[in-house]
Amino acid sequence: MKYVIIGAGVAGIEAAKTIRKRDGAGEILIVSADTHVHSRCMLHKFIAGERDEQGLDFSEKDFFSKYNVEWKKGVRVEKVCPHTKEIQLDNGEEISYDKLLLAQGADSFIPPVGELRKASNVYGLRNLSDAQAIVKEAETAENVLVIGSGLVGLDAAYGLLERGKKITIVEMVDQILPVQLDAHGAEAYQKLFENAGVRFVLGRKASEAVCEPDGKIHKVTLDNGEELACDLLIVAAGVRPALACLEGSGIDCDRGVTVDASMKTSQEDVYAAGDITGLSGIWPNATDQGHVAGENMCGAAESYTDTYAIKNTINFFGLVTLCVGRIKTEEGDQIQIKEDKTQYKRVILKDGKVEGILLQGDISNSGTWQYLIKNKIDISGINKDIFDINFADFYQVKEDGGYQWR
Amino acid sequence: MKRIMIDHEKCDGCKNCSIACMQAHRETEGTVYDLDLTDPRNESRNYILKDADGHYRPLFCRHCDEPKCVEACMSGALSKDPKSGHVFYDETRCGSCFMCVMNCPYGVLKPDTVSKTKVIKCDFCVNAGEGPSCVASCPKQAIYVEEV
Ligand SMILES: Cc1cc2nc3c(=O)[nH]c(=O)nc-3n(C[C@H](O)[C@H](O)[C@H](O)COP(=O)(O)OP(=O)(O)OC[C@H]3O[C@@H](n4cnc5c(N)ncnc54)[C@H](O)[C@@H]3O)c2cc1C
Ligand code: SF4
Ligand code: SF4
Ligand code: SF4
Repeated sequence: MKYVIIGAGVAGIEAAKTIRKRDGAGEILIVSADTHVHSRCMLHKFIAGERDEQGLDFSEKDFFSKYNVEWKKGVRVEKVCPHTKEIQLDNGEEISYDKLLLAQGADSFIPPVGELRKASNVYGLRNLSDAQAIVKEAETAENVLVIGSGLVGLDAAYGLLERGKKITIVEMVDQILPVQLDAHGAEAYQKLFENAGVRFVLGRKASEAVCEPDGKIHKVTLDNGEELACDLLIVAAGVRPALACLEGSGIDCDRGVTVDASMKTSQEDVYAAGDITGLSGIWPNATDQGHVAGENMCGAAESYTDTYAIKNTINFFGLVTLCVGRIKTEEGDQIQIKEDKTQYKRVILKDGKVEGILLQGDISNSGTWQYLIKNKIDISGINKDIFDINFADFYQVKEDGGYQWR
Repeated sequence: MKRIMIDHEKCDGCKNCSIACMQAHRETEGTVYDLDLTDPRNESRNYILKDADGHYRPLFCRHCDEPKCVEACMSGALSKDPKSGHVFYDETRCGSCFMCVMNCPYGVLKPDTVSKTKVIKCDFCVNAGEGPSCVASCPKQAIYVEEV
């Protein structure tokens, strides 16, 4: 049996490991554009100079030899042909497979504003290669413009602050981290970044950006006419599943590659896992999907059931936040807030169920919130301050000593 | 795998286990008699929770068969040791993202109070000698080690 995996991100690596545990003899090949196995979530540490390439590796020591997995790195898959069971690489090579896993993740989305897509000093932040290019450009750049104040935009800024750059962040809406936080929680991070020297321009869009003769953009014009000088631009305006090499393959795609609960695509013997599916854009879900796909590629019958993905944690300047579920309030919500010098907590309740939680400053022992929200547990019968509700209120110990929710 | 079993009906909330855990992980030298309970650097990896009726419910890492914290770990810092079956944390690899804190369904994990760079996680007392310090300190035998 020959298993081919496209992508050396967590979904691909986890699938390879899972396959090897089930099939000791099969041939496993990972093909990736990445030349280093790395955690994208730590790219800011690379930009800051805190960690080198090896320091970003999330896989087990000696992963490829330990699990007897072959790895072709630094090559791109250009075409996938399920009818002939082959993939084509950008170096002209053709590789056949018995089972194929699509785990190409996602690409940065650069909006078609002005000449952003053409300029040589505009980067997304998705791959180590992006971070390497940003570091190189930053050697000579003074003014950095970040478009987008989501987690990726702030990661980029956080890393570049360590290099003493002047950073401006432009955000379309009137607060930062609009997907994760309410205005109050966002303000806390905004202040921390401002104290570190970052300037924010909120409620504004980039409307024009023209390349100069050196092929770079040196100023961006906003929708109110303001001009921002820059030598390096980082565009953090979201990602799109990396579907380019699937064109003409007959594999059904919607926002991402369409899969059933076993992570199988519309084509026989082709599976998909991780950000490529569009089901989620966070690490734990990509891991889980990679695991389920790997099991099923070996003939098991596992399902991806823990699909909940509206969850995140944030940590900048030692201020930690947990946000799970709905962030925007709506009519009929019951809101409870607790705040003091060191923390801000807000819960959104509807009909006795928690629909959203935001904890900032102290996220100790907060893992139970995700469970309450995704399983729509009715907590109205618990006679306790809501922020004191914990696993004790659902406590059950199984025969083997494991816990179980009551 | 060895697991700390819990007979929660026997727990009377004395928190000897939590103090033993703090003592086993303190950075300074000394005995439990000079352990500074107010020093935020001394943190317990176990907790005695109370439900709405005031019953004590000991919260200890289960070193789960399919650990949700490991699944969430983006740095490789958390891993399930194939030999012992325990879930260990390597502080030098940790990227301080705290997705593990969010993903433990029982709420066992927390960031360290002082620096918010490390995760406070049960290590089964591998560096403290004779097995789990919490178990040795429990006067009620509400917690005990068993092979599962
Ligand atoms: C800056 C940043 C910070 C993040 N922070 C967090 C966080 O704190 N917490 C969290 O949960 N998530 C975070 N994420 C999201 C998380 O990194 C992703 O969910 C995760 O990486 C998804 O894994 P994956 O295996 O699906 O895809 P990826 O990690 O994107 O891996 C895709 C792989 O496919 C390869 N590839 C792509 N196209 C081709 C091709 N045509 N041919 C060959 N190989 C190809 C790539 O080289 C790569 O090896 C962050 C993401 C970014 C960018
Ligand atoms: S921290 Fe939580 S999820 Fe991880 S092993 Fe312990 S109990 Fe299980
Ligand atoms: S905080 Fe550290 S141990 Fe926890 S998930 Fe993040 S990298 Fe892993
Ligand atoms: S085994 Fe050790 S680290 Fe774990 S809870 Fe008990 S005392 Fe703490």
